Amino acid sequence: MSRGKRFLWYRKLFRIYEAAKQISQSSFARFFIETRASFLKTGRRLLSWRKDSGDFSKAGVGFIWGRTMNERMSRLELLQHTDAVNELLARYGVKFGIYKNNEFKEQLFPFDAIPRVIECEEFAFLERGLKQRVMALNLFLKDIYSKKQIVKDKVVPEDFIFASSGYMAECEGAMPPKGIYSHISGIDLVKGKDEKWYILEDNLRVPSGASYPMIAREFCRRSSPNTFHDNHLEDNRNYAALLRRTMDYVNTGGHTVILTPGRYNAAYFEHSYLAEKTGAHLVNGSELMVEDDKLYYVAVDGRRERVGAVYRRISDEYLDPMNFKPESLIGIPHIYDVFRKGNVALLNAPGNGVADDKGIYYFVPKMIRYYLDEEPILSNAPTYLPFYEEDMRYVLEHFDELVLKDVAEAGGYGVVFGRSMSKTQKEAFIALLKREPRRFIAQEIIDFQDLDILEGGSVIPRKADLRAFVLMAEEPVVWKSGLTRFSRNPDSFIVNSSQGGGFKDTWVLSR
Amino acid sequence: MKRLQFDYFMKIDYSEAVSLCHFTIKCFPKNTLRQRVEGVSIALSPAVPYSIGADSFGNRQIYGRDDIAHHSFSFRITGKVRTGLSGWEEEADVDQAAVFRYPHGLNQAGESLRAYHDEIGKELPEDTYEKSLLMMHRLYQDFAYEKGATDMNTTAEEAFRLGKGVCQDYAHILIALLQMEGIPARYVTGMLIGEGASHAWVEVLYQSRWYGLDPTNDSPVADAHIKIGVGREASDCLINRGIMHGGGTQVQTIEVIVSEED
Repeated sequence: MSRGKRFLWYRKLFRIYEAAKQISQSSFARFFIETRASFLKTGRRLLSWRKDSGDFSKAGVGFIWGRTMNERMSRLELLQHTDAVNELLARYGVKFGIYKNNEFKEQLFPFDAIPRVIECEEFAFLERGLKQRVMALNLFLKDIYSKKQIVKDKVVPEDFIFASSGYMAECEGAMPPKGIYSHISGIDLVKGKDEKWYILEDNLRVPSGASYPMIAREFCRRSSPNTFHDNHLEDNRNYAALLRRTMDYVNTGGHTVILTPGRYNAAYFEHSYLAEKTGAHLVNGSELMVEDDKLYYVAVDGRRERVGAVYRRISDEYLDPMNFKPESLIGIPHIYDVFRKGNVALLNAPGNGVADDKGIYYFVPKMIRYYLDEEPILSNAPTYLPFYEEDMRYVLEHFDELVLKDVAEAGGYGVVFGRSMSKTQKEAFIALLKREPRRFIAQEIIDFQDLDILEGGSVIPRKADLRAFVLMAEEPVVWKSGLTRFSRNPDSFIVNSSQGGGFKDTWVLSR
Repeated sequence: MKRLQFDYFMKIDYSEAVSLCHFTIKCFPKNTLRQRVEGVSIALSPAVPYSIGADSFGNRQIYGRDDIAHHSFSFRITGKVRTGLSGWEEEADVDQAAVFRYPHGLNQAGESLRAYHDEIGKELPEDTYEKSLLMMHRLYQDFAYEKGATDMNTTAEEAFRLGKGVCQDYAHILIALLQMEGIPARYVTGMLIGEGASHAWVEVLYQSRWYGLDPTNDSPVADAHIKIGVGREASDCLINRGIMHGGGTQVQTIEVIVSEED
């Protein structure tokens, strides 16, 4: 095809695309078209686009594709090695700890070998959306802890800042190195039955989970090298390098350390694994000290070495007993004062809770428009704020169709479904909702897709979500993998490791 | 207008040696429209090195550590301040000040304080400042000054139920009441002529200005007060905060002298 012809051909396709956009009403089709549109820009995959474009309005297209993919996946040689991989994971101590009845228990995190597969173009779309979101969230944090322009401009009501449990007045005016607040963001998404991805929540404090698909991939490669020879997927073992780059970018001079509260923490495995993979020291609070507005690592022999970046895996409140909770025994006295002086980077910066609160979630698309002057690429689940009268009315009218979430709770707690409440429960809840409207958000229940898992030799469907990791240095980078978690119970919509369930590797196809 | 000189002395004696301690001291009067600081000096004992900085509320602070075994820790701050230079303390950015409209920590209201607010709420005037004054008068009448009834961690609600307390409690309760009216209010630490200890009062936001109100003495802040720090509540601006390893039992002594310069 000559250049001129090709141009005409593109233009023609573009017109079809534009026309299709007008016609199609279903969000699936829209999604499909959006994705295909990105091919247009690159000029790739012209033929496949043409083949699909005839059928774009039929929701079946993606489904057939999905089924073949599923079929392909269930024929993977890798699956024969599920037990071997799980055994390796156990041997390497890939566990997470939970507290039940005040007792610490370690649980294996069951691994399911059927990977979640995300097509190259689909991931490119997610990537754009995730970068955009994390950029906006970072700008929001920077604004909130300084000028608060977004509040002045009445885009976010002050209630959702100052009454939020995640807002920390102690962090006002402290600018983190290079102005980055959320270096490592864990964004949870689900894919609806309408083929559309929805953001479920943002985790900007201490999101965990990257280590699980990293190590699972390592063991899978070991058990079944052929699988990775036959399938073209992005190597996810670069996470350590990305993390290292993120830490180095903000390092103010000196060592990089990973600060752990110790082996009784739920994610202790991850702390030690990431330290090993990034070459950072794994330290606890008592090995760090502050003197003369600088942070030092105190080696076993008493030698002191400057620390320039701390990837801290302990929560804000416990980080510094002199600035936050005085009873903290795992923190480092005055570390926040060093941070305030710009002499150390803390990843992530304290105070990020104000941006990943369930209440502020509603405002993230508005933030994207406000700070970036762009339309949000990824959608939130349709959310209502009973704080607004209009939304309250909607929530009361559609109570049974909604899921209600307590903004102060996390980890799958404080989530109730309108339809599963008894009459008295409902009345009590509505009374509470009217008394404390700011405390709750209501969301449409997203009918999200099942993924196949293997159980006792048979394939069964389970609800699953995806935690994507976005690392922020000069530019945000989305890790081409992610943690796919699935629920243990067939009817559960709550996918959270604290509530049982397992994980899968996430494959991003490289072509 | 007054010229005041002050001497703030704090000492902690330990029954056993302290092997390591961390301290933060926020005891520096600041320049505001109402007061001008004319020279301050500080002496620590043991004389350990310290860093100088400011917290997120703009309070100046010194902080550091002492890892040589010691049986007592003390500091003395002296200086001169001109007061009563203005009727209000500071100009405010209303959006930044909004944080003080929300209860935090110890100024949290409960059922009885809410009921009290409902009761006095009916007779309040429109004007924010008039309203604040009236709330202060009511609180002064209905609450009794008594040392030892409450401690550092008593909430506004708990103190109100007891019906008695010290300046910290007066301040927390008044803040809680003002916040229930939607008025930004903040906690202030400082010193007062004639008081032998540190003092606490309230600042209320009115027409983009912070005005001091002293509910313990039922009076607006004029020239008898030296302001030190501000925060949402007492723990944001503790004059001294510390963590120590060892120490056994401890006895704290605070001596404050504020007098008018001749």
